[in-house]
Amino acid sequence: MKERAFITLTDKFKDKLFRLAKRLLVSNEEAEDATQEVLLKLWRNKGKMSEYKNVEAFAMTMTKNYCYDKLKGKEAGNLKIVHSNYKDSRPSLQQEVEAKDSLDWVGKIMDELPEQQRLIIQLKDIEQYDNAEIAKMLDINEGAIRVALSRGRKKIREELSKKHNYGIG
Amino acid sequence: MELAKIEKLLEKYFEGETTISEEKELKVYFTRENVPPHLENYKSMFEYFSKESTITATRDLKLSAGKKRKYAWVGIAASIALIAGIFLQKTESSTKHLGTYEDPEIALQETKKILQMVSQYMNEGKQELVYLKEFENTKNKFIK
Repeated sequence: MKERAFITLTDKFKDKLFRLAKRLLVSNEEAEDATQEVLLKLWRNKGKMSEYKNVEAFAMTMTKNYCYDKLKGKEAGNLKIVHSNYKDSRPSLQQEVEAKDSLDWVGKIMDELPEQQRLIIQLKDIEQYDNAEIAKMLDINEGAIRVALSRGRKKIREELSKKHNYGIG
Repeated sequence: MELAKIEKLLEKYFEGETTISEEKELKVYFTRENVPPHLENYKSMFEYFSKESTITATRDLKLSAGKKRKYAWVGIAASIALIAGIFLQKTESSTKHLGTYEDPEIALQETKKILQMVSQYMNEGKQELVYLKEFENTKNKFIK
């Protein structure tokens, strides 16, 4: 496969990889790095590309694994704050007041969700993959996906209504 | 779309049971202008989701594997040229002749001439040092 053909192929889903990495790693820089790494890895193994049924899904899985490895590495190294533009996931009262924009607020709530829920909401609600595709990407069953979706969405709803009530009171 | 249907879909949505097309319906509904106040919270949720799906990566992909090798050759060539250059210069300078005497007699004469000249200059310089004796004399006056 020629370089140009590879780039045209991957450009279709490159942004999805980036968004997934950003969802998990939070930092823009790290997400860019992750995207780059995954695509390079894919390029190096381009000989096997025809064996993959769905290159996009495969790349998404690779990105997920890459990010999980990164996150694990951080925990193991006992480094809590590594990325430069890291935002404290538990906002202070000050930040609560400042986060007037309710869209930002949804993002903050999502950053607090457990990794798996965050990942699945990203794939379903943002990238609009169907459950079967997600199940294959993450190698879990569809029931687990439904449960994670339900929990994650309810959590967002709950936090939003809390915030809404504060706003009135 | 009627409110009752939306509420039903929402219920399903929070149980994680909606299909992609049903979720699309919800998204379309909640990104419109007018949403009843009790559903206002969901609006920000769905708006956030559609906003997030438009984020793009800014860095261009570089598949440098192929190009890197080309540049490696340039590097190797440059270092070979550099080393060769150094060696050539060294051998050149060692073979350079400054001129010499074939006859040992004349060589001796010339060497003597040079040494004489050196000692002459040294003696001339030494004469200036006479003044230093004054220091010695003064010092001896105080320290005995």
